[in-house]
Amino acid sequence: MKSPVRLERRLTQPKSLNWLVPVLSVVGALFIGAIVLMLTGKNPISTYHRILTTAFTSFDSLEGTLRSATPLAFTGLCAAITFRSGIINIGGEGQFFMGAVGASLAGIAMGGQPKTIIIIGMILTGMVFGGGYAAIAGGLKAKFNTNEIIITLMMNYIAGIILDYLIFDSNSYWRDPKSFGFPSGKPIVDAARWPIFHLGMDIPFGFVLAIVVGAVLWFMYSRTRFGFEMSVISDAPAAARYVGIRTRWKIVVVMGLAGAVAGIGGASDVGNFRHILDAKGLQLAGYGYTGIVVAALARYNPFGAIFVAVLIGGLTNAGYALQGPDFPSGLVGTLQGLILFTAVAGEVLTRYRIRRAGHEAMAVTA
Amino acid sequence: MRGKYMDSNETVAVRMTGIVKRFPGVVANDGVEFEARVGEVHALLGENGAGKSTLSNVLTGLYRPDEGHMFLDGHEISFGSPRDALNAGIGMVHQHFRLVNSFSVAENVVLGDQTTSTFLNTNSVADIVAELSQRYSLAVDPRAKIWQLSVGEQQRVEILKVLYRGAKILILDEPTAVLTPQEADALFITLRAMVAEGRTVIFISHKLDEVMAVSDRVTVLRGGKTVGTVDTASTTARDLARLMVGREVVFSRVERVAHPDAHKTVLHVSGVSATDDRGNQALHEISLSVNAGEIVGIAGVSGNGQRELAEVIGGMRHATAGSILIEGEAVKSGRVRQSIAAGIAHVPEDRLHTGLAPSHSVEDNLILKSYRHRPMSKWSVLMRKTIRSNADTMVERYDVKTPDTATPVRLLSGGNVQKVLLAREFSASPKVLVAASPTRGLDVGAIENVRIRLVEAADSGVGILLISEDLEELMSMSDRILVMYEGRIVGDVSAAQADRESIGLLMGGITTAGAQ
Amino acid sequence: MNHNLFVIMAASAIFYGTPLFFAALGELFAERSGVLNLGVEGMMLIGGVTASWTSQHLSGTSWFVVLVSILVGAGSAGLVALLHAFLAVTLRVNQTVAGLAITIFAGGLGLSSYFASVWGVAARPATHPIRILDVAGLADAPIVGPILFHQTILTYFSWVLVVVASIYLFRSRIGLQLRAVGESPQTADAMGINVVKYRYIHTVIGGLLAGIGGTYYSLTVIPTWVDGMTKGAGWIAIALVIFGFWRPDLTLVGAYLFGAFQSLSLILKARNVHINGDILNAMPFGMTIIILVVVSGGWANRRLGAPASLGIPYEREER
Repeated sequence: MKSPVRLERRLTQPKSLNWLVPVLSVVGALFIGAIVLMLTGKNPISTYHRILTTAFTSFDSLEGTLRSATPLAFTGLCAAITFRSGIINIGGEGQFFMGAVGASLAGIAMGGQPKTIIIIGMILTGMVFGGGYAAIAGGLKAKFNTNEIIITLMMNYIAGIILDYLIFDSNSYWRDPKSFGFPSGKPIVDAARWPIFHLGMDIPFGFVLAIVVGAVLWFMYSRTRFGFEMSVISDAPAAARYVGIRTRWKIVVVMGLAGAVAGIGGASDVGNFRHILDAKGLQLAGYGYTGIVVAALARYNPFGAIFVAVLIGGLTNAGYALQGPDFPSGLVGTLQGLILFTAVAGEVLTRYRIRRAGHEAMAVTA
Repeated sequence: MRGKYMDSNETVAVRMTGIVKRFPGVVANDGVEFEARVGEVHALLGENGAGKSTLSNVLTGLYRPDEGHMFLDGHEISFGSPRDALNAGIGMVHQHFRLVNSFSVAENVVLGDQTTSTFLNTNSVADIVAELSQRYSLAVDPRAKIWQLSVGEQQRVEILKVLYRGAKILILDEPTAVLTPQEADALFITLRAMVAEGRTVIFISHKLDEVMAVSDRVTVLRGGKTVGTVDTASTTARDLARLMVGREVVFSRVERVAHPDAHKTVLHVSGVSATDDRGNQALHEISLSVNAGEIVGIAGVSGNGQRELAEVIGGMRHATAGSILIEGEAVKSGRVRQSIAAGIAHVPEDRLHTGLAPSHSVEDNLILKSYRHRPMSKWSVLMRKTIRSNADTMVERYDVKTPDTATPVRLLSGGNVQKVLLAREFSASPKVLVAASPTRGLDVGAIENVRIRLVEAADSGVGILLISEDLEELMSMSDRILVMYEGRIVGDVSAAQADRESIGLLMGGITTAGAQ
Repeated sequence: MNHNLFVIMAASAIFYGTPLFFAALGELFAERSGVLNLGVEGMMLIGGVTASWTSQHLSGTSWFVVLVSILVGAGSAGLVALLHAFLAVTLRVNQTVAGLAITIFAGGLGLSSYFASVWGVAARPATHPIRILDVAGLADAPIVGPILFHQTILTYFSWVLVVVASIYLFRSRIGLQLRAVGESPQTADAMGINVVKYRYIHTVIGGLLAGIGGTYYSLTVIPTWVDGMTKGAGWIAIALVIFGFWRPDLTLVGAYLFGAFQSLSLILKARNVHINGDILNAMPFGMTIIILVVVSGGWANRRLGAPASLGIPYEREER
């Protein structure tokens, strides 16, 4: 099967690809999306226009976008940390849930403490619950070499079931005893609500926290010994062994770190937005999986992840706001999926360049 | 049966003439002439890099020759793929087996054969396999799974695969590298049985004793050319060794002044044994010592344990027995950081993926071993300014040609890659340096540079263990030369008195009394 | 008809397990060739929605409409799988991310929901649902009646499929070559087997079967389209492949087991038996984790484990 083009491995990666690929990906996705829209009788221009205006053009919409972006920033960072170390962690969803479980516990139980203490408590419990949950998967991989993809996937489901159990199927501490008709979570104390900064527009503390976490991660990865070791391991494992870097248990550390970040995301969901452990809402949102889209498009770069989270958050936000009879549902998921496709296919361009076949002489024997 | 093919009626099975094959930077086959007859075991002898593998890959269709012709049973042929060669009756048993681990022997043998019926009849296949294995003394249970078999048994499956396809010409690439002596003897019986039936066996090896024992004729390659084809019966191991390593004039030796501390033993390896990555015994109770300022060379065809020895001393590989002493102090094996702290420097064979992190910058690679300590890092944070200025100093001192210190090392030329490695290793002021094939693949200028640096280090008191396949290099640089064969030290001569032939014999596994 | 608990459970297990089996068998084939396809959920939904649409717009006899709907569902899912194969085999991207992209793209919040809303599929039930049959009039026979003779045509087809798939995988020459591709593509390639072709074909087969699984939901279980109606069945199917040790027969057993768990909590609640449904729901996932741990260890890995090259893109070395 001879093809007219060949893929030839690149030797160097021009720096421009770092932003060029994501941009082209989004453009490509929008283009394909436009075709889908047209084929089903919708006007792509007006549809895209409505999405843009709803998501980005007013302070009101930007607030909604930041709201949607905050959890995505955390799950995006979570995915970015693990993927760039070569670990395929799709458990951001479950780690986020567990973080919410932990933080809501703190938010309810720590009533009576000063605001700062409660919030710190929520962040810490979110980290511990999320990080611990992820570390289990990391430990199984380190010790038994199990496939982390399936394990984290299964653990997502188990985390969802835990949420259901706590809110719907038991009289747990998390359940609001006053909610008979439809069970829901017990609200956190007023002091536990995370601040929202009113600077012209409303910026949730959670979003600021995500930026801080992103900066910390960036610092860790580029300036600390730990980050150096991780990048050597993923560059050349033999070299890591050659200089004596212990690789096995690093997996647990990286997973724990990623889970902790996702856990903070869960904490922010409880603290800034829902104020309860919202079992149903969390499971419908799909933050963890969308976070993977964010990370992939941002090419696993921490700051890029925050930026992309805002972009995707805007898209998601527009999807919710526009939902109704005259706006097709499912468009948001379709576009997000297309973006991920193009991001992933675009990644190929960074590894290979396209060459016309026949460019180099093929040896022919007599 | 054999007598029929012994005299003037020698039918040529395959002939290769004027074969040229080029790769970037090297001419692997430079006009090779080769011919094997029906019913003979024909050995293809040569050192690493002589062109044996390339030639066999051309014969089996993996490579297309740039020039030259091949004739099979008198007809000219050319192969587009390994499949073509197999269909033409040429089968190869590789050094690295191509087997599916979880399948049974029978399943592996029949895999890929288009003439098998649609519905597998495992029983009938097993019967055929059993019959073949009995005919050629290749005892193996057709129903056993590959992962249950020993390496020797797995090799038999590879041979069965080729026989099942009806190969008339079999090529075996260094087949005894993974066998015990008994298994090797059994293999020779099998080979004899095969040629007795009119097949042809081409036996690639660097082991002189085996070549003498099993072959009818020998073709020796050196530097990509055929240097001779002889009847085994009318030659000796010494003659073959001479052909294999050549008779050129030795470079002038670098005359060195003995170091004042020359009596002090900096490295003492005692009774060290180790296994390789496959679990086979790679080192058998090796003992050697290196004094301060001494350059001890280790000669030998690669694959005889040299890499494992370097890794054990460097700390990457755990020794199953024995001890390593640095200036009299024991160093725990298998702990790289301890080895580094004890003053051992290791320049590995694989520069770009083991010795360095290829996508990382020059400055990062220069601190690859020192990043955990001050001044390169403080309280777990890397001190970038210090790292940068360290790199600038090193690049200047060791004359590394690089656009800047942030360039990824894989973009540098081979010679500069090695400079970076050496710079890092020397800057740690080691007591001992183990260098494995440090000049392999470098251009003349880079080679010169590496040798100068090594001698410089030795002059300042470092004990150097130089592992190399280049006999010239060893003879001109070393004070003493040890020869490694099958994981043992089989020779220890002072370089001034060494002669190429004796070393060549030792490299080929022949220990003759009076070799020194 | 006063059936005891066991009979109801067994019948439900088979009923709910059938779509799981189809999706899992499809994934089994893909994984046997070395391709990990996490987009099963999305493919099932695409299959379901297109089948629903076909059923609503095609006229003809019930059997004809049902058959064509199933084929359309399978075919559209197969097309999506073709996309996945292109990404995974030709472009050699990270198969996990590609599969996730498909699920997000086609899943409950994506294309399947989009088509449903644009085509108005959810407005009414399928005109010709896949009915539960009464085979040979034995549906009321004691015990075995409801369990074996009171199922849909797809269930009976799945039983045939198990046999065919097992013979194909373990007793045919092509099946051997397929397994070689999954275990060691380098070896298969060296033996002249076209790795790319096998991977493409079996990934698409995976999509076709997942599509059939999806039609089961939209044309039988609840014959009206609901966005995301598979509710994670695709993910369960992926776990099922591991649970069944990559063997069709064990996969069928596992599907029925998982099907039993799915229906158990509902059945028990209806009978006022209060066992905590969540433990039951969690069991399949927990069990899969345990199996995965066991299978990854050395002993089991060689005898029972995943195809060795699963998820790893294959690149032939340069000549």
